[in-house]
Amino acid sequence: MTTEEFGSARRKNILLAILSIGLLILVGRLYQLQYIYRDEYGKKSEENSIRTIVKDPVRGYIYDRRGTLIVDNRPSYIVELTPIDFDQKNIPLLASILQMDEESIKDKIKKARQFSLFSPTRIKRDIDFATLSALEENKSLLPGVEVQVESKRYYGTPARASHMLGYAKEISDWQLEKLGDYYQVGDVVGSSGLEAKYEKYLRGEKGFEFISQNSKGQVIGNFNNGKYDIAPKDGLDLHLAIDADVQALAESLLTGYRGAVVALDPNNGGVLALASKPDFSLSDFSGVTPPDVWNKLNDDEDKPLFNRATLTRYPPGSTFKMVLAVAALENHVIDENWRVQCRGAFVFGRKVFKDEHVHGSTNIVEAIQRSCNVFFYQLMLKVGLDPWTDYAKEFGFGQATKIDILEENAGLVPSTEYYNRVYGKGKWTQGYLVSLGIGQGEVGVTPLQMAVYASMLANKGHYYQPHIVQTIYNKLTNTTDTVVAEHHDIHISDHTWQLVREGMRRVVMEPGGTGGAARIPGIVVGGKTGTAENPHGKAHSWFVGFAPFDNPKIAICVLVENVGYGGSYAAPIAGLCMEKYLYGEIIRYKKPAEETPRAENGTRRSATMAAHASPAP
Amino acid sequence: MGQFFKEHFDRTTFLTSLALIAIGLVSIYSATFDKNAAASFYRQIIWCSIGFVLMIVTAFTPLRVIHRSSMAMYAGSLLVLAAVLAVGHRAYGSMSWFGFGGVGGQPSEFVKITTILALASFLSRSDTSMGNVKDVAIAFGIVLLPVSLIMMEPDLGTSLTFLGMFVPVLFWAGASNFLVVAVVAPAIVALAAIIGTTSFLIALVVIGAALYFFREDRFFGAAMFGMNAMIGIFVQVVYEKLPLYQQKRISTFLNPNNDPLGAGYNVIQAKVAIGSGGFLGKGYLQGTQTQLNFIPKQWTDFIFCVTGEEFGFLGSIIILGLFAVLLVHGLRLGYIVKNRFGSVIAIGIVSLFAVHVFVNVGMSVGLMPVIGIPLPFLSYGGSSLCSYMIMTGLLMNVYANRKEY
Repeated sequence: MTTEEFGSARRKNILLAILSIGLLILVGRLYQLQYIYRDEYGKKSEENSIRTIVKDPVRGYIYDRRGTLIVDNRPSYIVELTPIDFDQKNIPLLASILQMDEESIKDKIKKARQFSLFSPTRIKRDIDFATLSALEENKSLLPGVEVQVESKRYYGTPARASHMLGYAKEISDWQLEKLGDYYQVGDVVGSSGLEAKYEKYLRGEKGFEFISQNSKGQVIGNFNNGKYDIAPKDGLDLHLAIDADVQALAESLLTGYRGAVVALDPNNGGVLALASKPDFSLSDFSGVTPPDVWNKLNDDEDKPLFNRATLTRYPPGSTFKMVLAVAALENHVIDENWRVQCRGAFVFGRKVFKDEHVHGSTNIVEAIQRSCNVFFYQLMLKVGLDPWTDYAKEFGFGQATKIDILEENAGLVPSTEYYNRVYGKGKWTQGYLVSLGIGQGEVGVTPLQMAVYASMLANKGHYYQPHIVQTIYNKLTNTTDTVVAEHHDIHISDHTWQLVREGMRRVVMEPGGTGGAARIPGIVVGGKTGTAENPHGKAHSWFVGFAPFDNPKIAICVLVENVGYGGSYAAPIAGLCMEKYLYGEIIRYKKPAEETPRAENGTRRSATMAAHASPAP
Repeated sequence: MGQFFKEHFDRTTFLTSLALIAIGLVSIYSATFDKNAAASFYRQIIWCSIGFVLMIVTAFTPLRVIHRSSMAMYAGSLLVLAAVLAVGHRAYGSMSWFGFGGVGGQPSEFVKITTILALASFLSRSDTSMGNVKDVAIAFGIVLLPVSLIMMEPDLGTSLTFLGMFVPVLFWAGASNFLVVAVVAPAIVALAAIIGTTSFLIALVVIGAALYFFREDRFFGAAMFGMNAMIGIFVQVVYEKLPLYQQKRISTFLNPNNDPLGAGYNVIQAKVAIGSGGFLGKGYLQGTQTQLNFIPKQWTDFIFCVTGEEFGFLGSIIILGLFAVLLVHGLRLGYIVKNRFGSVIAIGIVSLFAVHVFVNVGMSVGLMPVIGIPLPFLSYGGSSLCSYMIMTGLLMNVYANRKEY
């Protein structure tokens, strides 16, 4: 504007006046608070003040499909110490009761004092009953020491399901940073499996209690008679599709091996069993995990923490032959009359691709039944890579199944684009494809994907996204939410289904089939064995199947690593699991007349029997 | 030499700032003593040393060098601020902390300085006039650019301090009363509208009177009044439509007694801490509110409660007295300094300090809503302390060059 106006004396005086008024208001207010009302606030500060106590909700329970409680909560006792009330000369007594060394108690008290003299700190978690009794006896000698109850996960059934259920453990620093505002140090948080995936449902909502205390930190009582208290909301319960008996049986059958069993209900995608071995004891994670237990699990060569059911990426071997069969039939490359003369090996260029047997003249149904490699080597060359890739993807391979646990591998389905990327355009030949025809080579799948594949074969292409949780029950509102599974169809002609499924029926039911060991008394089973060669030792034993053949109620995949033939190891395990599910027990060792009801300890008995059952080759 | 020193060294600014920093350290020690934040005290000492070096460097850099580079520094600081939005990680619910090799830094603290410099540079140009709509708009733009970035973080408190700094600077540069009212009015109307219809109407009447009294152009005045009325109605309508929990958050912001255990908790505890200090205080390290940790993180925004409780009314008055000396001295400096660049810098810094003191102390004594901004020199925090010490250096620099045109 004008030179006179910029920074004029008048403007300086106005700013000075505003500044002075502002400061005077503050001084006036301070005079009011600190002089006029000083006694009133002094009293308030003595009576002060409100402290918030967090009340932990009870974590949701987990039930199997029959309502059997598989994940329970049990009380666990923790010893807490409030520094201001504790006499340090009692440290030796406390140390002897808790069986801890004095130094570590001293250390904990030192840290607690730094945080607050008045807040209790945890000295020892999960003490046993003897320690609890000893503490109670010496209570009068140990002021400032309190025993608190918290709940800890308890697994009451023989079904361990370690990888699927997952563990809830004390929150780590990085989880605290990542998960944000709700959690505090010392909270328990679901960290793997269902516990992690459904953490928001299972955990419930914390409650808060407001207590008044004086300036010495002593509790006076509830603030405002508890008017502002917020009750904790217990977590929601999960009801799983899992059959705890089948799960337990699958685990016992895999004992001593490395492998996985995944069983699905093809009619709704519910996961009936999802077992991975070797596994670990979830109880080791429910309280405090001792470092040596943790290290042992981590260093174990067999990787017990690794969920083989959803994370392994192995070639599926001959179990994959139905993909090629469907691709060939649907593209009308061949029909059921096309025959191959199997002489026990197939020569392509300078390479010899071998077969287990000399199968002679074979059509597609017989080739599936007897798992003739030569047939499928030739068929692969006839069909070509792209149709095969398309159908492999149609059957869900090379992509996550979107099951409701977080740990899942998408697997790999090689395609033209993949080979061009890996080997360079024009630098790979038809010879690369031959092994794909029998499920060897670059193709990688998880047992879970194979179980979904089995359910598609069972249901003629109508399938559901696999899910472990069926319903979520809210105790507070008494409402149940059902988990909705997406379902899809793959469009394949009835004629093709009929041929492929007939092959699978013969695998198990007819002489000359490779999967006879999967038979169940009185029920028609369809299936396919696989023997996947690999550079790590003996072949991986695979089996996929479903039963009953015409009205499938269970679809299953079994993988046993490095043991040999699919028909010798995986098939009998699959048969036993399906039998257990369909009959509720293992009936094959019984005399037909003796129809006893479901035995209480059926699971354990059948598991022992199964261990004795020598698998037929 | 002694004469030169006397002539060019701003002892008042230098000594009052150091005294306030010393009081701050003493209070931070008390607030973190016997708690798991004890390392904060030692970290703050390190920050003090860094800040001291920055202050001296700033004080003795030739003012014309600062003048020439001010627009470039402004642009650079905005880029850094934008980078924070892109990569900065979250701390206390907003994204303003920037990781510099493991050390958290808050670039918005430094943007305050560069914005003041940019404003000073623009307003000191001989052809800039507050009567010119375009120039007023540019000045606005200089402030709104960083404010809109900081709002995105989101950091409401810091954004408000920019506006609190801007209005006095605009006024200082020669803006008419009418213009000042036009700038301030919408904020007042919006706030009044949230509190209630009665206060909204009162605010509208006051603004109408002010606009009439300062009128320059009757039509423009009427348009201004109409716009404010619309803003108020709009705010009220939007507020009514908000979900209940958001309404509650805003009403607690304005009246903490509505929510004694949630957001209002700090305010009530702060008042109890200060009030219970009485005239002489409970004694150093003896404040029960402080030592029992009733006010979370009181070594940052609620540091005034520590001194209030442990040193009483006397301690509070000493702190406010030191600020008064610093601010009045700075204001006078802005008046006597011969070059406009230095003048706007002085007024900008004084205004910024004043806003921080009014809002921070006001919130501790329950006169202001809880806005998370630090008390200059006293609150714990590396980047804020450094930026205040740089500003002290700038004031000293302006003082040294006060006789040059």
